[in-house]
This record gives sequence, C-alpha cells and structure tokens, in this order.
Amino acid sequence: MFRLTAVVPNRLLNRYRTHRKLAIVAVTGLLYAGGWTLGYLTAFDTASAVIIVLAAVVGGYDIATKAYYTLQSRTVGINTLVTLAAIGAIAIGEYWEAAAVVFLFSLGSYLEGRTMRKTRSAIQELLELTPDTAVVLRDGEQVEVPAREVENGERVLVKPGSRIPVDGDVVDGESAVNQAPVTGESAPVHKLPGEEVYAGTVNQDGALTVEATGTGTDTTLQRIIRRVEDAQEAQSPTESLIDRFAKFYTPAIIVLSIGAFALTRDAMLALTLLVIGCPGALVIGPPVSIVSAIGNAARKGVLMKGGEHLEQAGTIDLVAFDKTGTLTKGETRVADVSGFETDDTEVLQLAATAEKQSEHHLAAAIHEAARERTDGPIATDGGVVASANRPEKTIPDPDDFEVVPGRGVVAHRESREIVVGNQALLGERDIPIPEAALDYVRKRENLGETPVYVALDGSVVGAISLHDELREAAPGVIATLQRDGIETVMLTGDNERTARAVAEQVGIDDYRAELLPEDKQTVIEAFRDDHTVAMVGDGINDAPSLATADVGIAMGTAGTDTAIETADIALMADDLDRIPYAIGLSKATRANVTQNVALAVLTVALLLAGVLGSIVHLAGGMLIHEGSVLLVIANGMRLLRY
Amino acid sequence: MTDAVQFRVLDFDCPTCASNVERALSRLDGVESVDVHYTTGRVEIGFDPEAADREQFEDTIKKQGYTPQVA
Repeated sequence: MFRLTAVVPNRLLNRYRTHRKLAIVAVTGLLYAGGWTLGYLTAFDTASAVIIVLAAVVGGYDIATKAYYTLQSRTVGINTLVTLAAIGAIAIGEYWEAAAVVFLFSLGSYLEGRTMRKTRSAIQELLELTPDTAVVLRDGEQVEVPAREVENGERVLVKPGSRIPVDGDVVDGESAVNQAPVTGESAPVHKLPGEEVYAGTVNQDGALTVEATGTGTDTTLQRIIRRVEDAQEAQSPTESLIDRFAKFYTPAIIVLSIGAFALTRDAMLALTLLVIGCPGALVIGPPVSIVSAIGNAARKGVLMKGGEHLEQAGTIDLVAFDKTGTLTKGETRVADVSGFETDDTEVLQLAATAEKQSEHHLAAAIHEAARERTDGPIATDGGVVASANRPEKTIPDPDDFEVVPGRGVVAHRESREIVVGNQALLGERDIPIPEAALDYVRKRENLGETPVYVALDGSVVGAISLHDELREAAPGVIATLQRDGIETVMLTGDNERTARAVAEQVGIDDYRAELLPEDKQTVIEAFRDDHTVAMVGDGINDAPSLATADVGIAMGTAGTDTAIETADIALMADDLDRIPYAIGLSKATRANVTQNVALAVLTVALLLAGVLGSIVHLAGGMLIHEGSVLLVIANGMRLLRY
Repeated sequence: MTDAVQFRVLDFDCPTCASNVERALSRLDGVESVDVHYTTGRVEIGFDPEAADREQFEDTIKKQGYTPQVA
C-alpha cells in the first residue's frame, strides 16, 4: 500500500490534518482566483474553465461526502443542498457560479466552526485551572501524585502562589485565596483553619495544609462546569419555536424550488432557492446568544440554569429579598442586654441555658455573648480559656426545652421555667410585660434590632437585643434596581418596627414583616398576579419561596448542591452586586436574541425576494446567506463581553 | 449491559447538522441512546458493548465531517 507518510514528512502531514478545512478553502480560493484571472486575461477559455471546475471539485469534495452520509440517514441538510446546487450549476455550464458557491460555503463553514469552537471551549478552559498534580503528606513525607489520585481525608500541601488541587478543609496555615474561578469574586478571601477551599482557586501568600473532601471529577469546579453545560444545552422556548419552524421550512423550500423550476424552467432560480433553503442564521442565532450569556455569567460566578431562565429574568419588574442572610450578613450578634431588677449577666445566662441545645437562630448569638461575659477575657496565647478557673460560671444545661417556631424557646431547669421569646410567646403563656420592658424593646426595634424577652417563672427579668448587620452592598444594589425601574420588597419574620427600621436603612420600596415561612410563599404568589417576580434568598431555608417566584435567585451557593439545584439563578458568592448584573445580562440577552431573529428573518425575506426577482443568483445568494450566519454569530458572541 | 461513552465535537457548524449526527449514530446496531448537543459539542452515547464500540462511533462522526475528541 502506498503510504503518504513515506513521502511527505510527518510534521507537514499533521499540520494538514489539523488545518484541513482551512487548506481546502485556501486551495479552492486560489484555484478559483487563478482560473478566473486566466479566463479574464487570456483567451484560454477551456483551460480556465477546467481550473474553475477543479476548484469546485476540490472545495466540494468534503461537502459532497458529508451530503452522501447524511443522505444515508435519510435527512437533507445544507451539504446536500449545496452539492446539488454546485452540480446543477456545472451541468448548465455556470462554472464560475459553481466554484464561487463552493468556495463561499467552505469559507463560511470554516469561519463558523472556528468561532463556535471558541464559544464552546470557553467553559472547558475553566477545567484547565485545576492542577494535574498535588503534594500529599503521607507518613510525614511530601509525595507528589496526580491530583486525581488524592483520596478524601488525605492532607495536601498547597504552597504559596500555586493553585489548589482539591476541594477541602484547611487544617493548618492561613492565607488569602483568589476564588474567582469558582465564585467569580475578584477580591481574595481570607482562609483560616476550619474553612473550606475549592479546587482550581489560587492560594496567594501563605502555605496551607488542606484535608481533601473532593478530588478528581468530584470537585465543586467540575460540578459547576457540568451544570453550566447542562444550562447551555437546555432549549429555551424561543429555540423550541424556531426548531419546529425549521423542520417545516426546509422541505417547504425544496417544494418551492421544484415548483419554481416547473413554472419557469429556470434552473439557476431553482438551485439558488435550494441554497437559501437552509434556515442557517435563524437556527444558529439564539443558541449562540444564550451560550455566550451563560458562559459570561459563569465566569462571574453566576450560574444561570438555562435559556428559559435567561429569557424570563429579562422581564423581572419586582425583586423580593429575604432579610436575614440576604440583605443582612446573617451573623446575629447581641447588641445590648437589659435586666429589669436583675443583673444583666444573669439574664444572659438564663437565656443561654434555655437556648443551650436549641437550633433557634438566636441561640448561637446568645451563647457567644453569655460566654464572653461569663468566662471573662480569653487567654490570648491560645491556651486554655480562663473558665477553667471559674467552673461555677459555665452555662448549665436545661432539663428540657421546647422551641416554638417564630416565637422563641421555653425551657425548664431545676423546676424553674425560663422563657426566651417575643411578645407573642409571652402573650400565649400569660406572662405580663412591664412597661419598662416594653419601652426598652420599642426603642431597640426602632434601631432595627430584634429584641427578645427573658422571663423566669412567669415574670420578665430582662430583655436581650440582637442585631444582624446589613451588607455594605445592600443599599447600593437596591438603589440600582430602583433606578432600572424594578420594584423592591423585603420579606422578613421580624416584627413590624424592626422591619420598618431596616427597610428605611436599606432604602427598599416596600416590606412585609412578621411573616412565617409559609406566609412568604403566599406573598410571592400574590405579587405574581401583576408582576414578574424574582425572589432572593438562601437556597435552603428559602427554597419554597424561591420555587414559587418566577425567578428564584439563591446566594452563596458554592459547594451547596441543594441550593444550586433549587435556584433558577445561583450566585456562587454572597455578592448582592451580581443581582443587577444578572438581570441586566438577561435583558441584554433578550434583546440580542431578538436582534438575531430579526436579522435572520430579514435576510431570508430579502434573499427570497431577490432570487424570485432574478436579482440574486447562486453565488450572491450564498454570500449573503453565509454573511448573515457569521453576522448572527458575531452578534451573539458580544454577550461574552457584557 | 449498558455502557456509556462521551465525546466532544467542537466543530459542529449548524444545529441541523448536529441532529444529523444524532440520527446517524442512533441507527447503529447496539446503540440505545444518543444525545448530541450543538451548543456545547457534547455527544453522549449509551450502548451495548457487545454490539457496538467506540471506534464505530468515532468513524460515524468523522464521516459526517466532524472531529470527535475525548470528552
């Protein structure tokens, strides 16, 4: 067997294989130009004709082969149409047209392939950010292994300036980590022992020892990329519509072409109709816009679940925010304690006992404060806390306790009853609230704090006021949304006064207070009657409300699969700024898709008119057709840089 | 017994052409499910390893004019 590799050097052969398409386009073009020039400058008509036909054959070979194989699957695609058109043109002696059509189509195809390749690999490139190797600590030695082979629980050493190879928890060391590939945050995040780090992120100045929790394909970055691709593949309503249209359009054009030929006996007309019979730009436009938008968002740490969600998000005119953890940092702290004829510290201790084992969201804050006061200053050398010297001051356990959702906690200890809760809870238990306590509570609520009463054996002994700080970005984000004509509402379980105070602080349009979890859903449903509603919350506690809204936006979802699952738009970081960005991107995408569809439809209409009016012929038709496809792709890709 | 394999085709030039590849692959013996995505270039094939193999799939994709790559 004659082996080409024996004659042509391997390197050249490889280059040919990778750039085959380009090579064919180039050769076709040269032959065409050469033949045309020859025919123009000299009288060598036959010679130039042969060269032109050769151009058509060289360029058309691949197209014809593809056409052949698609015919085997009983489908008719653009390759079949172009092959028929070229053969037909040669048959009637229109050599220039045949070669031109083939050349233009190959060129267009090649350019399309190249640009789509770029759009497709944008996400894949994120994968390359995870290093191939990792340094594992085994038996006290540093061993370099492929990153994939690290096992969960093993300790990995991450040197300063290198990329983290696995998901894991920091067990030793302290550093600043740039988490942009996963969360889109440009500012580095400080990591201390106990905190989570992600594969693919960059460790900056300090060395870290990380205990692996996710390796190989089981990392947060990989999961995000898979989800991004799923989102890019999901068909949006517009795309489905166009898909259905395309299925009927191509056969219709073929019928039209045959009909036109039968009527006019004009072969060129029929052939040209065939060429523009592929809906090209129309079918390619919307997907490119959506893939680009989703890709852009992913790089900024925003995961948009699909074209459908993008299209909807662009019509949002009302955004509902959950208060705790969304508009606020979610870190409740005790701001003030007031005992009524009781020592402040004792009030705290009583409350801490009641809350000792409860999951009540105020429990941690009360504990923290009680511990600070009880144990005194903590030794700063990292040694044993001073409480070891004052054992009588540690917080005792309750004998039993009961959490009343939305109201507070009731506990018993040594036959004494401690109640920690709001006015509603005390009312339920017939505990009277003294005027002084009411005054205190009212004052703190007006500051935007959440106070709770502490009662012992049926009488109020004090009150603890808790504060959840607003995120710095919150007022700015609210203002931006308002400026863009979007209504903003805050939803919270807090009491009316606190809610109003916070609402004023953040500048929001409206608020609903004293909401139980189910109430939030009802409120959202009501809004949906005359708005397209987005709900922003955390993806776990607020899941039902997020699901009820038209668009559910979850914050801080990196590493939380359930949250990413429930949300329509998942923000990897706790960054409120991403919300105006996401809505803006969605609006831009809607506009972009409309532009592409309009362009495609206009082009086809003009082409049809031109062909039927005998103004446009084969080569011209192909030129405009390919041009419209490339234009639509270029327009769609603009969204990569939004 | 069902095996699954995934390819990446980065040079699809038209959505209809991508679905042609889907059709061609699904007509092969032993192929139980095919998913071809024009947007991301992902090709997922579920098949019976005793009736079909990777090379067949690669060939089919190449014949249609595209370059299958390892996923």
